[in-house]
Amino acid sequence: MGSLPNAPTLSFSSSLSATTLLPCRRFTAFPRRLSSFSVQAKIREIFMPALSSTMTEGKIVSWIKSEGDTLSKGDSVVVVESDKADMDVETFYDGILAAIVVADGETAPVGAPIGLLVDSPEEVAEAKAKAANSAPSPAPAAAPSAPATPPPPPPSPPAKSVSDAPTKTVATPQAKKLAKQHKVDIANVVGTGPFGRITPADVEAAAGISPSKSNVTPLASPAPAKAASATPSPAPIPGSSVVAFSTMQSAVAKNMVESLSVPTFRVGYPVTTDALDALYEKVKPKGVTMTAILAKAAAMALVQHPVVNASCKDGKNFVYNSNINVAVAVAINGGLITPVLQDADKLDLYLLSQKWKELVDKARAKQLQPHEYNSGTFTLSNLGMFGVDRFDAILPPGQGAIMAVGASKPTVLAAADGFFSVKNKMLVNVTADHRIIYGADLAAFLQTFSKIIENPESLTL
Amino acid sequence: MHSSLSLSFSATSSSAATVSRSRYSFHAPAAVPLNLRFCGLRREAFGSGLAASLNRNLPRRPHSAAVSAALSNNGSTPKSFDYDLLIIGAGVGGHGAALHAVEKGLKTAIVEGDVVGGTCVNRGCVPSKALLAVSGRMRELKSDHHLKSFGLQVSAAGYDRQGVADHANNLASKIRNNLTNSMKALGVDILTGFGTILGPQKVKVGSSNKIVTAKDIIIATGSVPFVPKGIEIDGKTVITSDHALKLESVPDWIAIVGSGYIGLEFSDVYTALGSEVTFIEALDQLMPGFDPEISKLAQRVLINPRNIDYHTGVFATKITPARDGKPVLIELIDAKTKEPKDTLEVDAALIATGRAPFTQGLGLENIDVVTQRGFVPVDERMRVIDANGKLVPHLYCIGDANGKMMLAHAASAQGISVVEQVTGKDHVLNHLSIPAACFTHPEISMVGLTEPQAREKGEKEGFEVSVAKTSFKANTKALAENEGEGLAKLIYRPDNGEILGVHIFGLHAADLIHEASNAIALGTRIQDIKFAVHAHPTLSEVLDELFKSAKVKARASSPVSEPVAV
Repeated sequence: MGSLPNAPTLSFSSSLSATTLLPCRRFTAFPRRLSSFSVQAKIREIFMPALSSTMTEGKIVSWIKSEGDTLSKGDSVVVVESDKADMDVETFYDGILAAIVVADGETAPVGAPIGLLVDSPEEVAEAKAKAANSAPSPAPAAAPSAPATPPPPPPSPPAKSVSDAPTKTVATPQAKKLAKQHKVDIANVVGTGPFGRITPADVEAAAGISPSKSNVTPLASPAPAKAASATPSPAPIPGSSVVAFSTMQSAVAKNMVESLSVPTFRVGYPVTTDALDALYEKVKPKGVTMTAILAKAAAMALVQHPVVNASCKDGKNFVYNSNINVAVAVAINGGLITPVLQDADKLDLYLLSQKWKELVDKARAKQLQPHEYNSGTFTLSNLGMFGVDRFDAILPPGQGAIMAVGASKPTVLAAADGFFSVKNKMLVNVTADHRIIYGADLAAFLQTFSKIIENPESLTL
Repeated sequence: MHSSLSLSFSATSSSAATVSRSRYSFHAPAAVPLNLRFCGLRREAFGSGLAASLNRNLPRRPHSAAVSAALSNNGSTPKSFDYDLLIIGAGVGGHGAALHAVEKGLKTAIVEGDVVGGTCVNRGCVPSKALLAVSGRMRELKSDHHLKSFGLQVSAAGYDRQGVADHANNLASKIRNNLTNSMKALGVDILTGFGTILGPQKVKVGSSNKIVTAKDIIIATGSVPFVPKGIEIDGKTVITSDHALKLESVPDWIAIVGSGYIGLEFSDVYTALGSEVTFIEALDQLMPGFDPEISKLAQRVLINPRNIDYHTGVFATKITPARDGKPVLIELIDAKTKEPKDTLEVDAALIATGRAPFTQGLGLENIDVVTQRGFVPVDERMRVIDANGKLVPHLYCIGDANGKMMLAHAASAQGISVVEQVTGKDHVLNHLSIPAACFTHPEISMVGLTEPQAREKGEKEGFEVSVAKTSFKANTKALAENEGEGLAKLIYRPDNGEILGVHIFGLHAADLIHEASNAIALGTRIQDIKFAVHAHPTLSEVLDELFKSAKVKARASSPVSEPVAV
């Protein structure tokens, strides 16, 4: 395992591009993205997949492809022995297998990179270097990354440690397993359990708050660890019950906390929807859903305002996305997931509706592939069906803007000519990253959106 | 008191069928014991009916606490002895022997210094099965993946520790009562007090000077948890299985010293109830007693995915209970180099390093018997051997106290074998036909030799050894239960079809093993048993497949004996 790339950039970049080979059914509510590194993803990591719900690590039985082989989507690349069976693992992407990080016969925890995939032959050498080089930070543009040597243990653990051996790290079996799984360096985790031991919760806190999975992120990991120890949560009120987050809920919580690092602002806009409602009545029998209509309208507006579809990942650059992928927030089984309608501007309403139905079915069955929930460039959240008239949404990490849609309600409106009329009015509220999207941008975008909704014929074209 | 109890039993009884069946099998001139599986415990499942109906066939006599009174009323005993057979220890071994002795018409007494049932019923197999029943259900209810594949939805599963503990305790007392009543109903005298051998055929019971004589004596005193030195048991944080079965607490983190079947079963219980477990194993790999292939698979299923880690190749030299605000401290040294290796800090430690014979104070010195590490030396017929290597007449030792095979049902089988001998029929028990099981989820079971043992034997005796395997993944019933995880392994002689060993890891493995153990006990060969029909779809087809996949050169010995028209 010495050849595991411990350069922060590598795993970050793969988070950026959100490309994994994972046929993983585990949910993350929002893609794990990190917003502080500028390296674009050209090298994709092939991760140890979770082949069963109980699998924590896997053994490479054999690589079917060798280094330098060209892969196309769907090819079997490697045979992995899980705790259950030997299984072929397929790639989701075209590319060249640049480097094998975990060789035949070796084991790696779920989620650990086992190989590197690149787009062009030019990048093979670079990827190889990264794979081979376990020495400090080979990545060229490794932003403000600290040396890859593990950071010193956090200062003064909040020591209830009555142990005779103060320097000893004591971690429970599950904590060790989780640390391995999430790549948390156990030495950097502050134990809050009995006798100062590291509990599974400590590891989860360390893994959960830090945006990337830890031990390769010397920058991020100590900070949350300290934060976690510095603010001990108050004792629960007697009689209350404590229910641990599910995986999905942890992911939501993590992303929500992460959003605090982004300066956001909000702009609201009233939209009359009489025409839209009429259109909806017409197309509803054909299977068109309101979600599809709103996603389509937002996508068409985004075409005209690309900056709202952009994102800022490192605080220094605009990242203009070539596709308009509208993620739609859905509450599901006590969690939250954002299935993505890819290329929402290009598909027609009927196809979008059909696509949406498929996504929701998959989400319910927990069968969404990672790219189906973490490739969004803009998010739509609609609580109108509950009668909510307005709300604002929290910006998901890695995106520039999110639109919160309220209910459409009959409202008395005074027209410019002084006549009153009753029209259906809906309030939309967009939360955006002010580093790249300014007030005027958002206002213009909302104006366009409103025009599309008020003259919805264009939606059906 | 005694008689009123047995009367109430016969009043509620109904079935006599079981009795006649078992009688037949014992009278049958089988070379190998048909009813080896006659563990007293299993018998208790239908205890009352069996006991009471047996009772009808026997001369009724009023029970009395006074031994002399009982003496005069029980026909066959020569006047010189109080009893035909006296058994010291009313565990499963003693109970099995007592029941069979009564069946053989012997006037029998059993001496018990503690509670009837011994380790198995009170501090072993029985209460642990209650805990494992709970852990199995908890596992199912907590396995979202598993439930979802059934289309089931269950909201968060939880448990009440006291409720679980009560279940184990209630089960033990129920089985204990059944055991006691069955013996009383049969007319076995239960003498309370520790038994001490004073001389040949003479035993003192309890601290009073009550002396009982018997024609033959069986020592069945069993065993107690073995605690290596350096380990301080406080019964709260450093415990043995005796304490653990009471489930007085469920620690967050418990170290289990020893990864044999006791340790494994407890790891199953504790992890299901939310504890994290650290195994400490002196040998280089976990589950040393099992067939290597089975233990490798078992580790993949029972250890790796659970909240368990382990240290192998280490001894726990010193274990200090939690006190003065400190956790339980476990000092580990390397098993080979004896170098200090690590110190663990955990919430509790369970010592599951095996069991030591309970033979102290038995008065063995009075008959010149020297124990070996506490075990009573015996020959293959369970006859006790004295310090000079000579057999002690009329004295036998069965069960954990002789250390041949420390299993409840083995003790019972040994007891039955002894009774056969003292009633005039020579009998040697084939220990290789005795199955063993570990009741994890899924279960592990085995009979006969492991693959390495078989290969070694084959090399020495010059025969070929083959192995056949089948997977539970191919079994319809297992798949219907969504429990396709598992393996059955057959070790056999391809030349004559003899079954050398069978090892099963999978759903209900403990129940499945008996087809193989019976075949070994009866000497059935693979080429014959493969024609036996199994109901479809059942788990037993795993063994059916297994036998059919074996490649035996010998032909089936006898064709179907007589065609039966249907």
